[in-house]
Amino acid sequence: MDNTAVVELENLKVKLGRREILHGITCRLGVSGKGKAVGLLGPNGAGKSTLILTLLGFHRPSAGRARILGMDCRRSMGEARSRIGYMPENDSFIGEMTAVTFLRQMAELSGLPPKAALEKAHEVLFHVGLGESRYRELRTYSYGMKQMAKLAQAIVHGPELVVLDEPTNGLDPAARRRMLKLVTDMKAEQGMNVLVCSHLLRDIEQVCDEAVILKDGAIVHHCNLEEERRSNRSFVELEVTGDDQNLRMALPEIGAEGVSEGSGRWRIVLPAGVEVEAIWGLTARQNLLVRKLTHRRDTLEEIFLKAMGHLAHTPGESAAL
Amino acid sequence: MVLPRYAWRRLYEQRLVILLTMAAFVWPLLCAGFIYLTNHVELLQGLEPEFREFIQVDGRFFSIFMYVQAICAVFLAALAGPGLVAPDLANNALPLYFSRPLTRWSYALARLTVIVGMLSVVTWIPGLVLFALQVGLAGGWWFVANWTLGAGMVVGFLLWLLVLGLVAMASSAYVKWRIVAGAVSLAFFFILSGVSAMIDEVFRVTWGHVLDPAWSVNRVWCTLLGVDPPEGPGVGASLVALSAFIVLLVAVIERKLRPVEVIR
Repeated sequence: MDNTAVVELENLKVKLGRREILHGITCRLGVSGKGKAVGLLGPNGAGKSTLILTLLGFHRPSAGRARILGMDCRRSMGEARSRIGYMPENDSFIGEMTAVTFLRQMAELSGLPPKAALEKAHEVLFHVGLGESRYRELRTYSYGMKQMAKLAQAIVHGPELVVLDEPTNGLDPAARRRMLKLVTDMKAEQGMNVLVCSHLLRDIEQVCDEAVILKDGAIVHHCNLEEERRSNRSFVELEVTGDDQNLRMALPEIGAEGVSEGSGRWRIVLPAGVEVEAIWGLTARQNLLVRKLTHRRDTLEEIFLKAMGHLAHTPGESAAL
Repeated sequence: MVLPRYAWRRLYEQRLVILLTMAAFVWPLLCAGFIYLTNHVELLQGLEPEFREFIQVDGRFFSIFMYVQAICAVFLAALAGPGLVAPDLANNALPLYFSRPLTRWSYALARLTVIVGMLSVVTWIPGLVLFALQVGLAGGWWFVANWTLGAGMVVGFLLWLLVLGLVAMASSAYVKWRIVAGAVSLAFFFILSGVSAMIDEVFRVTWGHVLDPAWSVNRVWCTLLGVDPPEGPGVGASLVALSAFIVLLVAVIERKLRPVEVIR
């Protein structure tokens, strides 16, 4: 079984001028051929774009090594690029070309024969919802259509890895939903690996299986969102009236742990397999009146805020302490 | 050849380019008529011997042909050349190209190929046709005696086209706006010509000519075609000056044709 990482970084350092942007990043992201999505998060200036541009060979590492799909980003860049699709953040197209000609040219540049490139251009434009307007010049497109055209050119040659830089930036809610669905379909139906760079945490949470949080050119958190979703970080925010002094002692009855925040407020961590109904039963036995019960997990936003240093602990961690 | 193929198609979708290309064939047609005339002595019976001596197909004839076509090439390059690079920069399309198996140099070479190819249609290709016409009419002995004219014309034109192509690409890489880039590439030749003339006048020298790439190319042509050179620096100095120009233009292109601009 091939366990080649989609992106593998070894002490990667990148300098732009005299300024070091990435300070020796080491990590393995994704597994080639699995159709998984990796999210790249971080505040402005964290080095997300620099990392993406280095992976694409636009910046040269000052030290260390970067590999995409097992290929070195410097030595085998030509081969790597034919297996990558890239959707840049900013407007990027040839305005005087029709969408179908533009896509055909891009597919041919990626190595597809002219006839196959034309067929794929039509197919992909229909897939992203631009089928009816494929013979229009790109400069006449709305912003949302241009975003879709950018996505189309990134996937027209059927790459193994698609790098998306802020794919939902500036899109209205309907277009955003459509874009995220396309990304989800790309990995689920076509088995493409996706690297999404975004500052919209909800988008990353929705489509990604892994997330990396960058801060000041270094990785501050790397989490497997799939595992996070499955883990016992499920917790309950509970508010009761009545004498809750015995609740702490009673929680182990259902295998849970909790911490009182005073005034009847509790944070309770539920172990795997224990459903929230157990809390209802426990509070009933303790003659407590439940005023509020929220069953939730740590959101990516909370994980992100903790990684950025704005939170000491995520709510789930606080409950477990 | 993907990029040149698409660029070629876009180029000839512009009516002005087609019109100017067609207009550039007027002079070669007149030259063809001239060659026909000089090779049919019966048509020249009534002319003065001095005039018959004057109208010869030789180095001077090809140099005059080249001057006119070179001017057409300048305008064609200024009109069509920037349209090949400027839109890619204005629309930020370079990251899309360079995220594919295409290097910056192959991109630049592809664009240069298109410009040189387009200008070849109105320069050395009709020149070679004229040369072949003369060989056909005058006979094999003329080819044996004058093959250097044909070779010199092709080499001389290619040198000029290289300069024109690089100027068009460098100006559009800097300006990004097609029309202004065209004006800049025209101004490049006029301004340098003016500057070189000014230097010569102010300092009472002749080496200022080498700062004018058009003059330097002309000086090289004179040597290639074996005609009397203009007063000024020799062919060696002209070649050195042209090489410096080419290196400078390549450096500008190398600096500006990048997928991302790094603010240091």
